[in-house]
Amino acid sequence: MPSPVRFALIGNPNCGKTSLFNRLTGARAKVANYPGVTVERRSGVLTGLPHTAEILDLPGTYSLFVTSPDEQVARDMILGSIAGETRPDVLIAVIDATNLRLGLRLVMELKTLNRPMIVALNQVDAASARGISINSAGLARDIGVPVIETVAVNRQGVDKLRAILADYSREPLAEGTQGLSLSNIAELSRDDSIEELYQKIETIVATNVIQPSEFPRWQNRLDSIVMHPVLGLVVLFSILMVIFQAVFAWATPAQDLIKAGKDLLAATVSLYMPDGILKNFIADGVIAGVGAVLVFLPQIIILFFFILLLEDTGYLTRAAFLLDRPMRGLGISGRSFIPLLSSFACAVPGIMSTRTISDPRERFITIMIAPLMTCSARLPVYALIIGAFIPAKTVWGIFNQQGLTLFALYLTGVISAAIVAWIMRRNQPREEFPLLLELPSYRWPMAYHLMMGLRERVWIFLRRVGTIILSLSILIWFLCTYPSAPAETTHAAIEYSFAGKLGALMQPLFAPLGFNWQMCIALIPAMGAREVAVSALATVYAVGNADTALTGALQQSWSLPVALAYLAWFVYAPQCISTIAVVRRETNSVKATTYFAIYLFTLAYFAAWVTYQIARLLS
Amino acid sequence: MNAFVNSLPDTHLSVSALRLDQCRKGSELRVVNLLQQPLFGTQDDRVTLRLKELGFLPGALLKVIGFGLLGSDPLAVQVNGTKFALRRAEAAKIGVELIGSH
Repeated sequence: MPSPVRFALIGNPNCGKTSLFNRLTGARAKVANYPGVTVERRSGVLTGLPHTAEILDLPGTYSLFVTSPDEQVARDMILGSIAGETRPDVLIAVIDATNLRLGLRLVMELKTLNRPMIVALNQVDAASARGISINSAGLARDIGVPVIETVAVNRQGVDKLRAILADYSREPLAEGTQGLSLSNIAELSRDDSIEELYQKIETIVATNVIQPSEFPRWQNRLDSIVMHPVLGLVVLFSILMVIFQAVFAWATPAQDLIKAGKDLLAATVSLYMPDGILKNFIADGVIAGVGAVLVFLPQIIILFFFILLLEDTGYLTRAAFLLDRPMRGLGISGRSFIPLLSSFACAVPGIMSTRTISDPRERFITIMIAPLMTCSARLPVYALIIGAFIPAKTVWGIFNQQGLTLFALYLTGVISAAIVAWIMRRNQPREEFPLLLELPSYRWPMAYHLMMGLRERVWIFLRRVGTIILSLSILIWFLCTYPSAPAETTHAAIEYSFAGKLGALMQPLFAPLGFNWQMCIALIPAMGAREVAVSALATVYAVGNADTALTGALQQSWSLPVALAYLAWFVYAPQCISTIAVVRRETNSVKATTYFAIYLFTLAYFAAWVTYQIARLLS
Repeated sequence: MNAFVNSLPDTHLSVSALRLDQCRKGSELRVVNLLQQPLFGTQDDRVTLRLKELGFLPGALLKVIGFGLLGSDPLAVQVNGTKFALRRAEAAKIGVELIGSH
């Protein structure tokens, strides 16, 4: 039994490689629309082939002369020089038909490697809409490899490619005998200088392609607005404001629905189950705990939707371009913008995407400050406390005071990150590193890929709810229930439990911040996931005070300075083991990881202390 | 490639009097040569190579299409139907001649 054929997709960043991968595998993969998002190893099984075949989605690259770690991964995979990885059998070189020369250049370079190769001429629909007409048969003749037209927008668009791949997977391939190495590439390219290669490409293009010399006018018009010194800023901030307002305001109806469903379920359980420990466990432990977090699903969906939308349309790279100069003052660049923006969703993918940053110093700083971007797991905590303590008044005519408070928390994180980055960079020697960012064409977002990306993110969140949050909810319920209180007592039952004792133990340390023991308890399970703090508080307070809603309980038990101090703690604390774990993996250094955890916890303690003391003086 | 590379452009000494980083928005330009940039230190040759790979070759037609926030850095430029963002330091490596503007 021969091992399955392995295909690998290779191409420039933004060539539509990942959407092609999605179409070929039906996998839940994220679409890239800015340079270098596919840093992770992505592989899948090709669907609709008579024989099993694997396909690999390599990181985007412009050249075999690499300038960043992800380009190096792409090159080393092709050369088979990564230990533990087998070299792919057939390369599928993806070219964006609207950006032909850049893609052809890479293909010509790849051709020198003498590997079996197919060219997928992608986005031919967009090209013909622009008036570009390509003779793909002529292209195939002149390059010397098969050229297949593809359209990743619809399912039929990859049928021809799939048919060709089926042929390749059926026939055993003659294994190339040529040894591949770097010196091999260098040698081949020394003969073939860049100028000569481009001359060849010009000839090929002149023979086979008719294209208008100008960009589509709407693209240029859009760019003249987006890159306008004043209008561009207005657009950028409007988009960010809309996102934050949407997360708070638009999600409310759906949240109310989930809340009502949760209450109904808990009431049903209470009604039909016999009194006792099991009923207590289901209603207070499972339903209350999981439900309290599930309520925030609509907000998370809205946030991810906007981030994916900006990625897919091509605006995200423009934002990186616009923000490059302001960020450079802090020692980072526009490239750090994308990892940092992803960190607003979750620091884990954000930190992983720092692999696209070529400068190791800049990458380190970006990793260190990524968790200061307010991730979606903090939203439940913020939303709960803001909902309980900040009145929903309208200020300045259009803004909701709760929305503004949320915005202020986001801003605090961003400003703190800027200060930290600036301090870290001050101690480092400064060396300029090229930016060289491609600004991809604007694209109409594809609903299919948007939904795939959204589904992936939502699924990750739900899986956390079902696993880590469920088990922590049960753990907290247990800690809060046992040992049970003596029969005749005037104190709340929870004060006798493990949780009560643990909270009392921690409380003196947090007393200067105004934290009570319930708040201290909530911090412990929140190390698993920040949003668990909400269900922990729900459990802690519901056990002591079963009939009051969590909001009411907080209003009774906390003063405003305490609530603000708790918010300040959550702005800074690295309250999530998975973030710490990913820092360990990406820095590959225990020292850096320890530094990361200590600096953030110290910052959190200090910020909460200052907030509490100042707020107390003012009130 | 060495034939094209000058030492750091000194406006009155270099072959090209104009560099990309000195050009206004809307300028239409032709690349004359690629210059050295001491800011990049040992990386400079690699940056030159990459710029060429991306299409910034002598003879290529460029158009300055915009600038980042806060000053004229980085700048967005169109070459061969692709738009790129370059910082001033990179743009200063590209010697150009003005062929039009609007």
